[in-house]
Amino acid sequence: MDLSLLQALEREKVLEVLQRDKLLRNTEEDRIRKLKIELQEIRRKGAKNFSLQYSERTCARCQRPLGKFWNSGAVCQGCSHRICNRCRVGVSNLDWKCTVCHAYREVKIKSGDWFLEEKAKKYPHDTDSHETIGEKLLKSYQRLSQIAVVPPTPPPYYGSPTFNRYGEVKSMKKPFTKSMEDLMFSITSHVRKFSKSQEDLRLKQELLTVDKSRRPSIVQKSFSDTNINTSVINLSNVPSLPNLFKKGKNDDHSCSSSGGDEELSQSSENSELKRGGSFRSSGADSGFHEVSSVTGELELTVDFNDTTSCLEITVKCCRNLSCGDTKRKKCHPYVKVSLVLETTRCIKLRTPVKRNTTDPIYNEVLQFPLDRSLLTQSRLQATVWHSGTLKKKVFLGEVVIRLDGWMFEDGTAHSSCWYSLSPKPECPEGGAIESSSSGELLVRMKFSSLSQPTWDCHTDEVHIRLHDVGQLTVVVVGAKNLPAKSNTSQNTYIKGYLVLPGPRELVQKSPVLKRKPGPEWSHQLVFSKVKPSELHICTLNLELWDHTPFTRSDRLLGGAIMEAESSWRLVSQAPNIWHDFTLPVQTNAHGRRT
Amino acid sequence: MFSAVSTMTDGDYDYLIKLLALGDSGVGKTTFLYRYTDNKFNPKFITTVGIDFREKRVVYTASAPNGTTGKTFKVHLQLWDTAGQERFRSLTTAFFRDAMGFLLMFDLTSQQSFLNVRNWMSQLQANAYCENPDIVLVGNKADLPDQREVQEKQAKELADKYGIPYFETSAATGSEVDKAVITLLDLVMKRMEQCVDKPSPDPANGGGATKLEDAAPDQKKCAC
Repeated sequence: MDLSLLQALEREKVLEVLQRDKLLRNTEEDRIRKLKIELQEIRRKGAKNFSLQYSERTCARCQRPLGKFWNSGAVCQGCSHRICNRCRVGVSNLDWKCTVCHAYREVKIKSGDWFLEEKAKKYPHDTDSHETIGEKLLKSYQRLSQIAVVPPTPPPYYGSPTFNRYGEVKSMKKPFTKSMEDLMFSITSHVRKFSKSQEDLRLKQELLTVDKSRRPSIVQKSFSDTNINTSVINLSNVPSLPNLFKKGKNDDHSCSSSGGDEELSQSSENSELKRGGSFRSSGADSGFHEVSSVTGELELTVDFNDTTSCLEITVKCCRNLSCGDTKRKKCHPYVKVSLVLETTRCIKLRTPVKRNTTDPIYNEVLQFPLDRSLLTQSRLQATVWHSGTLKKKVFLGEVVIRLDGWMFEDGTAHSSCWYSLSPKPECPEGGAIESSSSGELLVRMKFSSLSQPTWDCHTDEVHIRLHDVGQLTVVVVGAKNLPAKSNTSQNTYIKGYLVLPGPRELVQKSPVLKRKPGPEWSHQLVFSKVKPSELHICTLNLELWDHTPFTRSDRLLGGAIMEAESSWRLVSQAPNIWHDFTLPVQTNAHGRRT
Repeated sequence: MFSAVSTMTDGDYDYLIKLLALGDSGVGKTTFLYRYTDNKFNPKFITTVGIDFREKRVVYTASAPNGTTGKTFKVHLQLWDTAGQERFRSLTTAFFRDAMGFLLMFDLTSQQSFLNVRNWMSQLQANAYCENPDIVLVGNKADLPDQREVQEKQAKELADKYGIPYFETSAATGSEVDKAVITLLDLVMKRMEQCVDKPSPDPANGGGATKLEDAAPDQKKCAC
């Protein structure tokens, strides 16, 4: 049984249902565990104690003596022990069981063991029949995704002023060609699920090889940090409907720019690949520098191509850049554009390096395959870097553009826009912590708004009172790819802080989870009395602690932060629905102990 | 969509009972379950993708064999919703085996959906956890009498042949919806007791009154 026959989007939907089922199953497993512990307790109390002398004539449960004729007890149908009148449970004098046998029976019913036994009768060869189909399916997909998946890079820090040219979202009018839409759906959801199977990947690579010969595309130079992203990016250039594909201008640019810079840009990019992680982390750990003063502007065109379902960013040029190498008065700038989706997914493309200029001209079209509907949840981050000697990179400035208010129109030539470059936000969460990013926390979040829509029967209007308070439920489903160090210390728990505007801070703690290398808490942290309006500006800190039983202080293994407004908007705008997030864990955020 | 669950994610219940709704596409499985769990009606047809489930917590009062009302239990119902569409068939039938009871649904305004009940019965026999699981036959859309194509007598006869209860429900008005589910729940609860009280029941005769004979139900009728 697998889901290979379903379309990617359907598969995703089914897996979402199965994920919900898993939460219910976890609750159920906890409940059953408790039931069985209680049963053990009853059994222990009611067992004949072999250290004590007892005669045949005592009740097997309470050890009270039984008479020969009077109160002589009777044999339990279940365990064949002689039982006194008091230790019987049952409806009639004939139909009864001893307390222990009764407890066994109850547990068998309440735990659903009866069902598993019945099922095993029909499917005797199914050795793991206690696993539900949903469980198996989910596991098989998680396993597959672990093989194929490279952990997502943490999103670049986002905090600089946003640029919004039009302010209003315009409804998408242009219809897609259906086949194209399906194709793009499948691609985007593949990125999201990080490609469920290796076969899919192979398929894409096959497409890629065909494509290379046809079109010397710029994206071949534009590497990304994960091979999955690479394959997806390349796929975007496969003209699946060749006649629809615009050939011409883009190609010219890519050809003209593939000059002598090629080698350098490739080698510097490769060094990034080796270091792994996001450019920010790779920059921070060794070769990252920032110019003392960020100057200059960047000219960009943002456009959405409905024909190819690609977000097309044209990097035109920069001017008045700061000198990357101040000593030798040299600057070899290149521009890197990251498309960040839903805080966790990130596609990065870059231009080649232009040498010896602070006013480089690129005219590069970078294409991000993307379903149009996802635009509203994404933002662009364009960073300008100096590619220095010995693969040293110098940060020259960045621009962050939110796309949710962007108006994309087709057919019309987009006028390009100048953006002034801003320095990296001064924030400890920025470079320093992301550099030690390790592992992720899988988090589900739901905002339950307690405000009920009220219906006004006179005006036939529905009012939603916005000032009412709601409740934020956070389930830390589990942690993935934690560093080995935190895996060995296995008594982990999660502490969640919700920092609200003003000096309010709500703290919640999950139970300690003992001795599990891949911890799954599935515990709910419930933050109540949260106003919907506050949600946009609050920060959720999730800390992963190691509980050390015999010392007073627990060890902080790492923490994850959720504060991006776009993610909160998702949670608050669709209340009462679970949203999944993968938050990168940053180790030793503050190095604190309590 | 998931609002009712926020208060019941804890493990404070006595039984987890998994029921599953099946039947042709468009008979109203999703709206039926929506009516049952949320007491709301959504007239829009949104086809179910593969599978889904809804939850509801109910209080069940056990009736003791001597006629007195027994203890009350908290029951957490997991109500699986399946896609009726043919292309999801292999997925949905795989989920049959994890359900303890079944709501076999057809559309009272569609003769075809009624004719397909027999096929669904054989699917159940092949894929459910046992040969004769607890089933309730549900004819939905009883609120549309002028479009009715299946007569009550017809459906009742079929249900009798299989030895299963029959209800005519309306997800739009909510009539008989609760009753159908509670009847099924009752059957499952009784089945549980029977299963644990018979230490080695004959697998071909799990103790239920339900008989699931796919082959020629008409002949069975004559046996009595």
